[in-house]
Amino acid sequence: MNEYRTIIPFIKENRWRYFWGILALCIVDIASLLVPQVIKRFADLAQFNQLTKTNIFESIFWIIGLGIIVATGRYGWRINIFGTARKLEYWLRSKLFNHYLRMDDSFYTDHRTGDLMAHVSNDVLMVRNSMGGGIIMIFDALFMTFFTIFMMISTVGLKIALIALSALPFLALTVFLMAKPLRERSREVQDTFSELTNEVQENISGIHNIKAFSIENNRAKSFLKINKLYQSKNINLVKLSAAFDPLITLIAGIAFVIFIIFGLRELMTNNITIGDFVAVIQYVGIMIWPMIALGMVVNTFQRGIAGMTRINEILAIKSKINESEEPIPLNKDKIEIEFKNVSFRYSQDLPYVLKNVSFQIKDGQTFAILGATGAGKSTILNLLLRRYDVTAGNIYINNIDIRDLSFEDLYQAIALVEQESFLFSRTIAGNIAFQAQSEIELARIRRSAKFAQIDQEIMEMPEQYETWVGERGVTLSGGQKQRISIARAHYQTAKVLVLDDALSAVDTNTEHHFLNQIKDLKSTLLIVSQRISTVKDADQIIVIQEGKIIQHGNHESLLREADSFYAKLHERQLLESQLNRNNSSS
Amino acid sequence: MSKNKQQINPDLEEYTKEQLASRKNFSLKRLFNYAIVHWPWFILSFLLIVLTTASTLIQPRIIQVLIDKDISILISDYESQVVKDIALISGAKKALFYLFTVIITFIGTYLQAYILNSTGQKILLNIRQNLYEHILKLPVSFFDRYPIGSLVTRVTNDTETLNEMFTSVFSSVLRNAFTLVGIIISMFLLDVKIAIRILVVLPILIIISLVFRNVMQKIYFAQRRLLSIINTKLSENISGMRTIQIFNQEKQISEEFDEVNQEYLILSEKEVRNFAIYRPAIEMIRSFVIAALLWFGGLRNLEGVLTFGILNAFIDYIQRFFNPILELAETYNIIQSAVTSTSRIFHLLDEPEETSGGKIAIPDKTLRGEIEFKNVWFAYNDSEWILKDVSFKIEAGQFVAFVGATGAGKSTIMNLLMRFYDIQKGQILLDGRDIKKYKITDLRQSIGVVQQDVFLYSGLVIDNITLKRENVSSRDGRKAAEIVNANSFICELPNQYNQHITERGSTLSVGERQLLSFARTLATKPTLLILDEATANIDTETEALIQDAIRNMANKRTMLAVAHRISTIADADKIIVLHKGRIAEQGTKDELLAHAGLFSILYKLQYERTE
Repeated sequence: MNEYRTIIPFIKENRWRYFWGILALCIVDIASLLVPQVIKRFADLAQFNQLTKTNIFESIFWIIGLGIIVATGRYGWRINIFGTARKLEYWLRSKLFNHYLRMDDSFYTDHRTGDLMAHVSNDVLMVRNSMGGGIIMIFDALFMTFFTIFMMISTVGLKIALIALSALPFLALTVFLMAKPLRERSREVQDTFSELTNEVQENISGIHNIKAFSIENNRAKSFLKINKLYQSKNINLVKLSAAFDPLITLIAGIAFVIFIIFGLRELMTNNITIGDFVAVIQYVGIMIWPMIALGMVVNTFQRGIAGMTRINEILAIKSKINESEEPIPLNKDKIEIEFKNVSFRYSQDLPYVLKNVSFQIKDGQTFAILGATGAGKSTILNLLLRRYDVTAGNIYINNIDIRDLSFEDLYQAIALVEQESFLFSRTIAGNIAFQAQSEIELARIRRSAKFAQIDQEIMEMPEQYETWVGERGVTLSGGQKQRISIARAHYQTAKVLVLDDALSAVDTNTEHHFLNQIKDLKSTLLIVSQRISTVKDADQIIVIQEGKIIQHGNHESLLREADSFYAKLHERQLLESQLNRNNSSS
Repeated sequence: MSKNKQQINPDLEEYTKEQLASRKNFSLKRLFNYAIVHWPWFILSFLLIVLTTASTLIQPRIIQVLIDKDISILISDYESQVVKDIALISGAKKALFYLFTVIITFIGTYLQAYILNSTGQKILLNIRQNLYEHILKLPVSFFDRYPIGSLVTRVTNDTETLNEMFTSVFSSVLRNAFTLVGIIISMFLLDVKIAIRILVVLPILIIISLVFRNVMQKIYFAQRRLLSIINTKLSENISGMRTIQIFNQEKQISEEFDEVNQEYLILSEKEVRNFAIYRPAIEMIRSFVIAALLWFGGLRNLEGVLTFGILNAFIDYIQRFFNPILELAETYNIIQSAVTSTSRIFHLLDEPEETSGGKIAIPDKTLRGEIEFKNVWFAYNDSEWILKDVSFKIEAGQFVAFVGATGAGKSTIMNLLMRFYDIQKGQILLDGRDIKKYKITDLRQSIGVVQQDVFLYSGLVIDNITLKRENVSSRDGRKAAEIVNANSFICELPNQYNQHITERGSTLSVGERQLLSFARTLATKPTLLILDEATANIDTETEALIQDAIRNMANKRTMLAVAHRISTIADADKIIVLHKGRIAEQGTKDELLAHAGLFSILYKLQYERTE
């Protein structure tokens, strides 16, 4: 139960609700266990022909009175315990999500989106169920059992009660013995289910490949295998689980019969009254539920603990990137960036991705990074944006180590346009301004959109800037997405603009136009690209290969280095630029 | 690529009530078709349910007779010991009969649950398999607009929800209905007058339950909608976390999420409150009915017309009378979600499958590999033409290179040849026949494609080469690996060809994956080979290996290559330069060089440098 430590603050906060809920539950149990007593008295009176209108009224008064207590009590515990459990669901979901918001990039490379979502939905649900239904069943089952035993003994004496209760140890034993195999089998079912899900996920992702090789039939066969396995695991579980409730009922039924046979003798010798007999019969019936409930409690809490454990594991992860506690304020009017002997690797057992990289970017300069896929270009940006911290060396902005800056200052100073720009499902205006709807200024948004040359296209859409983006709205083309994200970056009015291979989806003309416009902004520009045409006007160009700077200069100086990476790339891209030039002239 | 994918999100589809109703009947009917084959099992469980319900309902009756006949003798002060002994024996017999009903109930309930569940599993197996095979047969264009996640949910979670339909819903509805009817009949058999008076509450119960059901239906509907918004937001924000953080938006996003989360909480509390009113309300009615019973029964007992045994039996029946109603109300909820899943599943099953093509088979190795595009027009979307009036001819055994900027339509030509999409205008001929006349599987199996993105299955290296195709033995697989020089790196793996690899977190480099892809394609020795930017993003060393491989097998094979590198293109028999969906230039290397177009400029530039 130590797993539940995470929710202790919540429980403390809501302790009175739990208290009142459990109290109400106990009152309900007592009241409902008194009902057989009323009937017993009634039966006894009937047996001895002492029934009068007055005592009939008395019985009715008790039945209705107890009924009202049970009903109000039930309302009380449902609202208090189930209601609190729902609050817990909200509380945990919010806690997890806010934790996610603080996690760094390495967290997101280590954890799959699907798993992170499952924690927020399934695991939270399991904890909720254990703290709602689970709590109720525990208290209900325990209280009911003890109180029923007490009532039986006080009604018919210890000896007869023991006979009626003879089934109890067997019931407990059944619950105990079946719990483990049931758990194991249902675990197998769950495991097979996730295998099945993986199979489907993987194959549908590779549908192009399946079609290209025309192997639909053998993929279907492969699925049939796991499909059948899943079926057999389910049936295997049913064999056992289907027996649980009937078995409990059977044992209780046998005890019942033993009591009847024994009770007949006691009735004959007048040791018990017919009222006692009837009451005990009812009590034995009442005992069945707590036993079934106990079996369910074990299951519910096991799931709850499993869910809690997974949630704890996630919550225990600390972001590796931490904001300085006493950040140095940054003057954002003029920004100079310096990388000084920066080296980086993702972990100690992995090779270095960046090796001893140094460069300086003056305020207002255009700086380009060129290199093949995997050379380390994006790593440089990731380090500048503090997605990761350097392994060795320093990164300075205005001579302040970026680790001494507040996140807010850092991210306000730098605006990023990514290669695969991520847009959110909200309106286009909301995507550009990235602010609460009420704070949005349309004029400013349109200025940014005009800068990104997307204003006209947006105005042609039926709902213009209110057009909903994404799954429930319009789907934008790659080029439109990139231009919206350029508008988004422009809207930030940051001093440094970073384009991470961001112009690949626009043609060279548009690209050229952008680069000129950016020059007018007088901001510092950092471009990562694989295209010569994008970088050739930069003040400085560095070429990265295997984590090292292999060339550093400008377009002319780099071209002069014969047989260099830059010169070769230039050649290779001639065809494309020829074609585009052809296009612009035609 | 300006393939404007109009993605739809089927999870967010919101149906109006009428739509839901019309769809519900339709899909439930089709679901029934899946079940009907197993009718003997359903009949059997039906009979078992009748049997167990009857044997459970008979139990209070046994106790009643026991009390009225035998116990009344036993406790009587006027009966002789002999009569009492006889009564004791007859009481014991009744107890044994009771035991018999208990055992019958046990066996019956277990068998019934087992039969229903395993039959349900059989049906589910079928539905899942049909659905999965159906998805595999859907056209490529379908996957452009339908998110993978939803397809996975259809096959896994939605079929799982259906399980409830065949198991708990079927048995619960039947059992509860029988129990209800059985109890009513039993009460009438016991005492008509009291039974009639009790049944007065039935309409009240039904009205309360219906009102409750309607309220809950709205709440559940709203909950499902909110939950799907929560999930969408979660998945979106987790995927876009980097952007959120870089743009300093954590607070904003957190508030947005909290808004939905709170809205959901409010609905949840509403749900709890409704149950907290409904359940006690039913309890309250139960108490009133018992009180009424004591009143009428007591009075009649005073008059001496009603025995206590009967009164007790009534009390027992009353207790049992309310449970079926409560359970039926809960079953309704399960039915609701099962219906939603059912209609989603059948909706997907109704998506038209990909054509199986024409009738002409292509027997092994009989394809010559002659290709002709005749005035081909093609658009992914109706409006944007990707290929405009494209015509060219490739002779059998030729090596043709396609050159052009991104989005010029090179990959589209390859997709069309494989019939992933159908053209709007024009004709594509293979060996002089329209490709639509060939069986689609034969067509695709005779064309080998190596794509830029390599898809690996989690499994063994060798299985990734053979893909467990019937016509590819593992010897063929190894041979192919040797031909493309993949053998050397595979042999360095700890388990060599039996090394387990996964799609994500793969231990293989991009180049190694590419080599596996080549081996996979060449294992069947296809007559027609398509290389779709197959050597892009690969280091020079690996490229040299692959070039070797191509040379080892390219002779006597028609080969189409999309490539950027002049060195690859230079050997081609024919070069087709595509620009904005049209053919800008085409011809042999010499022809192109002679007429001083784009290619010649490029070629000269490159040639002079390497000299």
